[in-house]
Amino acid sequence: MTTIAPAPVRAFVPSGSGLSFGGELRSEWIKLRTVRSTIWSYATVIVISLGMSALMSAALDLGGREISAAEQATFLSQPAIFGVFFGQLVVAVLGVLAVSGEYSTGMIRSSITAVPRRLPMLAAKAVVLFLCTFVVGLISTVGSYLMAVPFLAGKGITASLANPDLLLPLLGGALYLALVAVFALGVGAMLRSSAGGIAASLGILLLLPIVLSMIPAQWLADLLPYLISNAGLAFFGLNGFTSASFETWQNILIVLGWVAVSLAGAAVLLKRRDA
Amino acid sequence: MIQAQSLTKRYGSKTAVDAVDFTVQPGRVTGFLGPNGAGKSTTMRMIVGLDRPTHGSVTVNGKQYREHKAPLREVGVLLDAKAIHTGRSAYNHLLAMAATHSIPASRVKEVIELTGLDSVARKRVGGFSLGMGQRLGIAAALLGDPATLILDEPVNGLDPEGVQWVRHLVRHLAAEGRTILLSSHLMSEMAVTADHLIVLGRGRVIADAPVAELIGAATRKTVRVRTPYAPELAALFQSADITVTRTEADLLEIVGVTAADIGNQAARAGIALHELTPVSASLEEAYMALTQNDVEYRTGGTPDDPAAEHSAADLQESVR
Repeated sequence: MTTIAPAPVRAFVPSGSGLSFGGELRSEWIKLRTVRSTIWSYATVIVISLGMSALMSAALDLGGREISAAEQATFLSQPAIFGVFFGQLVVAVLGVLAVSGEYSTGMIRSSITAVPRRLPMLAAKAVVLFLCTFVVGLISTVGSYLMAVPFLAGKGITASLANPDLLLPLLGGALYLALVAVFALGVGAMLRSSAGGIAASLGILLLLPIVLSMIPAQWLADLLPYLISNAGLAFFGLNGFTSASFETWQNILIVLGWVAVSLAGAAVLLKRRDA
Repeated sequence: MIQAQSLTKRYGSKTAVDAVDFTVQPGRVTGFLGPNGAGKSTTMRMIVGLDRPTHGSVTVNGKQYREHKAPLREVGVLLDAKAIHTGRSAYNHLLAMAATHSIPASRVKEVIELTGLDSVARKRVGGFSLGMGQRLGIAAALLGDPATLILDEPVNGLDPEGVQWVRHLVRHLAAEGRTILLSSHLMSEMAVTADHLIVLGRGRVIADAPVAELIGAATRKTVRVRTPYAPELAALFQSADITVTRTEADLLEIVGVTAADIGNQAARAGIALHELTPVSASLEEAYMALTQNDVEYRTGGTPDDPAAEHSAADLQESVR
């Protein structure tokens, strides 16, 4: 076979659409909805919340006491948002898995090759997870309210959804769930491991408040209201878990602070480390 | 075009890639060779920004990969390690990748058809065989119709039909003026696929040349001669730079003389020849010769090369 000098080939010029944040959002939305853990997690949040609401409102025994009109909204909101306490644990697991699942399967290499600047990918993940969890949270709190209505109406308790004393806790519960999911996303991105991320985020949400309150030191007790779960449960009025030390807006700021620290840590490490 | 300038990657005290310079040109298939641990995969990861170079830089079409506005349209990459979520279907995986660049779903269907994944596209990737996983990786690399294609061991796990398909595909894409960088340990496949080779050994470039030149430089041409007068013919070629090996009673392999010279000398001496064939060395032999000092993970207790060469003098001793 004779060797023929190859004719000089003109370099191929790529064309077509490029990266955009809109595209990255769509990509993360596809990723989130096409794994089973997402469907199971969100279904669990809703089912637990509806179940809790039915149980609580059915079991409520007023002992013949008359509830004032002002209090009725609070009596209706309590069963509606009670499920959030359990829901936060489920969405925390989901938030971790949304990113740690990419590390454990190697998917993260595909994701980073598509979005090599990396931070837009993390931002898109956070936005999509926040919005989806907020919607699911809203379905679960409003659904739980609707679940409680027939039980409590029989006991003389009614309130309109337009009543801010009822509506704000329902919105607040959904907001808290969405923020917890994003907080856990940051933890998962920092630890890059499902087991480690789930242990760390559930530890911070659930164990930290218990451990701190068991240690008899005043300065530790003073820290309690600043924990993400204590501040979070307080800001939408889920009573019984913490004393109301702060105004609602202050509690929201505390939770946002936790989310910001988690995402900032994730961003720094994502940018710095080899994938 | 891919250009690396004193590209270096250290992991702790170990230097995986050591001040490497090379250029991968468009319009041809460039093979990327080297023993395990030579730094091929690390270099490929640095090209697409997965690993940050400790020193030096690498650019694709004049820019670092992450500076491009449409990275998937510049470079399509298949890495050796799996890079796909096992819980997602092949179609959804490609759809999610495509969405980042607003690549339409029709292109996703195109690459699925092109890689022969139609029947399994809706199944979860976790159940895929090695070969199907490779096909999906290649589909993902082709998604953006990229100007540069980087494939790490693309034929690993593919059936013979798939191996042939990859060969035709990359040759076709190179002919369109794209830049192709391909690694493989299958030397016979590389010999028929690549035009140009870059060989790494212990993190350094030890060869960067066209395939034919590399084979020619690393090995000496052998001539196979069949004659009933083998000892007599061998006696004609007693010289320090000529090696004669008698492989069968009537068969000699002579290195260091051209077939024409052998024929002429045999005619002058009145020795009848039944066969006179120049044998070109294989890429595998050339590769082994090149990398023998640069193998990072050597298998222990290798027996001596069975084809050890004897000098003409040794041969004469043995035939007497």
